[in-house]
Amino acid sequence: MAAGGTGSAKSFNFKVVLLGEGAVGKTSVVLRYVENKFNEKHISTLQASFLTKKLNIGGKRVNLAIWDTAGQERFHALGPIYYRDSNGAILVYDITDEDSFQKVKNWVKELRKMLGNDIALCIAGNKIDLEKERHVPVADAESYAASVGAKHFHTTAKLNKGIEEMFLDLSKRMIERQSEDTHKSTTTSRSNRTKTVTIVDDEPEQPSGGGCCGSS
Amino acid sequence: MTSKKKKGFHVDESELLCKNGCGYYGNPGWQGFCSKCYREVYQKAKDAQLESDSLRKQRLAALQGPAVTANGETTLKFNKFEEKRKQHQAPKAKTVKTLFKKGSASPNKEVPHPWTGKRQPSIESEKAASDFIEFLNTLRKPAAQDITKQCKALIDRLQDQYELSVEEQSDIVQDFYQNMGERLQTHSAFKGASAEQYETMMEHMEKYMITRLYKILFCPPTCDDEQKDLAIQNRIRRLHWISAEMLDADIDSTKPSVIDYIEKAQTDIIEMNSGRSPIDKLLCIVRCSKNIFQVLNISRGQPASADDFLPVLIYIVLKANPPQLHSNIQYITRFANPNKLNQGEVGYYFTNLCCAVTFIENLDAQSLSMSQEEYDSYMSGEVIPAGTKFGEPICEGLRLMYANLATLDELRIRQDRLRENALSLQQEIKDFRDSVVKTVQDVLTTKPFIIQQPRMPANLDEENAAESSLLPPPLKPEVVAK
Ligand SMILES: Nc1nc2c(ncn2[C@@H]2O[C@H](COP(=O)(O)OP(=O)(O)O)[C@@H](O)[C@H]2O)c(=O)[nH]1
Ligand SMILES: [Mg+2]
Repeated sequence: MAAGGTGSAKSFNFKVVLLGEGAVGKTSVVLRYVENKFNEKHISTLQASFLTKKLNIGGKRVNLAIWDTAGQERFHALGPIYYRDSNGAILVYDITDEDSFQKVKNWVKELRKMLGNDIALCIAGNKIDLEKERHVPVADAESYAASVGAKHFHTTAKLNKGIEEMFLDLSKRMIERQSEDTHKSTTTSRSNRTKTVTIVDDEPEQPSGGGCCGSS
Repeated sequence: MTSKKKKGFHVDESELLCKNGCGYYGNPGWQGFCSKCYREVYQKAKDAQLESDSLRKQRLAALQGPAVTANGETTLKFNKFEEKRKQHQAPKAKTVKTLFKKGSASPNKEVPHPWTGKRQPSIESEKAASDFIEFLNTLRKPAAQDITKQCKALIDRLQDQYELSVEEQSDIVQDFYQNMGERLQTHSAFKGASAEQYETMMEHMEKYMITRLYKILFCPPTCDDEQKDLAIQNRIRRLHWISAEMLDADIDSTKPSVIDYIEKAQTDIIEMNSGRSPIDKLLCIVRCSKNIFQVLNISRGQPASADDFLPVLIYIVLKANPPQLHSNIQYITRFANPNKLNQGEVGYYFTNLCCAVTFIENLDAQSLSMSQEEYDSYMSGEVIPAGTKFGEPICEGLRLMYANLATLDELRIRQDRLRENALSLQQEIKDFRDSVVKTVQDVLTTKPFIIQQPRMPANLDEENAAESSLLPPPLKPEVVAK
């Protein structure tokens, strides 16, 4: 549904949701990525719930809209409203907290059920600066990610590792999906309902003369 | 305290209702009347406006070329006006709808219909039209002509096809956005425009068309929006006892500036109902959200995340109980340009509002982390939450009272301190005086006060007979021995 559907403009707009239990570091990761700051007093933005980042990947302009989601248990049921129409999701857990990894598994299940393969997934094992307190084995996490078609990243917002790579990889995969989609979707997205003609066509138009912008 | 109609806010529900007392919602845009009463009351003014309307039509027609000239349509419209208005007063029942459906089977164009928009444009429509014309004048002629043609076609189509369900209406509008978006990129009339110009064109079209079609598209009688509006309104009313603490909303309501922003946020979300186009309504949500971030910023001092934002938004919605909440959300969902709605900051805040409403609709004891008994006792009104101390304004008056009491307390303490200080100062003065007196006395006793005779000039030569008589006789020289 992204505006990137109009691929001719060569600019992609992607919606990325951050999912994960409270306190695993969602906000820290995105603030590190967008502002390159961690736990600092002087952060220019008033809010860290909706942030944007512009990228240029191989000449393609990409606008990421990063949506923070409320992680409290009582808001869990609202997930589908948040991730509706998103192109990518980053699922964050805390490597020192087994439980938070379990939550990620639940999210993945739900996302796949609701959105199928329309969404690119990243799993972030955050706080690797606390390696000594690790409670989620690396092998477990990586094999799980592979089994659900997600990419796994080891990140730390504190030391700024793995975050840039993660967003870059996610963006590339979203571009791939979108490029595949635009071939299909222009015809499929709306045609499955009774086609309503909403545009009045011109009287047969002369083939738009080669020289563009000539008339301005 | 409970029986009092609580709003926690200075907009009373009675102010939101139609001034005529018909029970519908009024609107500041209609001078406080509902649309129906407003139309009746301002009938005369409207008649006068007919004329200027036909002028405007001619201007639009002029832009469009000779195809549509100002024909007899305006006069025709005027003749039918009275009749249509009467039909408007008929209850918007489904039976009426089916009745007209049958009628429309016969191609009798003369059958007027209550829901067709071919009637007096509202003041908002007029304003939207003049803004739109102004915008069109900034475009090159082929672009302006094409946009005018496309918009008019869509408006006419939706106004004519009154039998459409709201889903079908939404599909038509959404298709228009998609097709028109593509047309802007490909059609020769729009060649050379920048991406931003495309966007403003789409925005202006949306604003103009949907504002013109507002009466048809907002809370149409063909769906159950109105019942759902009432349901959510009653639901929120029953949840009046929920405090910011129960939601873990980080509101430091001891600070006057926080109260200020909370009130602004509530006003914004209430105003959403008076916006005509989806864009207008979305901007109200954005303003509301920005005010919430101000609240959070004051109490936290670091960027607020979704964890902080959503609870406060829920709190604001609960306290404001915005009119026609469901209808407004549906209207935006159905008729806003999806490019705006799915992406971007606007979309984020709108999504959060949807989350807040969903949360409120499904809220139970568990979502407030309390026992079922506790929840039930609040719901039934048996118990008033104890947490309503002075961080949790129950209503504006009480909040003021608490604030004043706190000020009075502080004043009393200061007054006490002042009196103490005064007393101790008095004591000090007394002590000082005493000590001075004492010192003086001491000095007086130890060093008696003697007034010395004034010195007389001594006259050495003067003989004092009395004195000399006391003196022993002068010694006479005596020879003691030889
Ligand atoms: N050591 C360490 N602490 C982190 C890291 N990322 C976040 N934190 C801390 O974890 C806590 C929760 O972070 P936050 O971003 O608010 O988590 P959220 O609730 O998922 O948004 C904060 O105290 C952060 O300082 C990390 O990479 N390493
Ligand atoms: Mg957070």
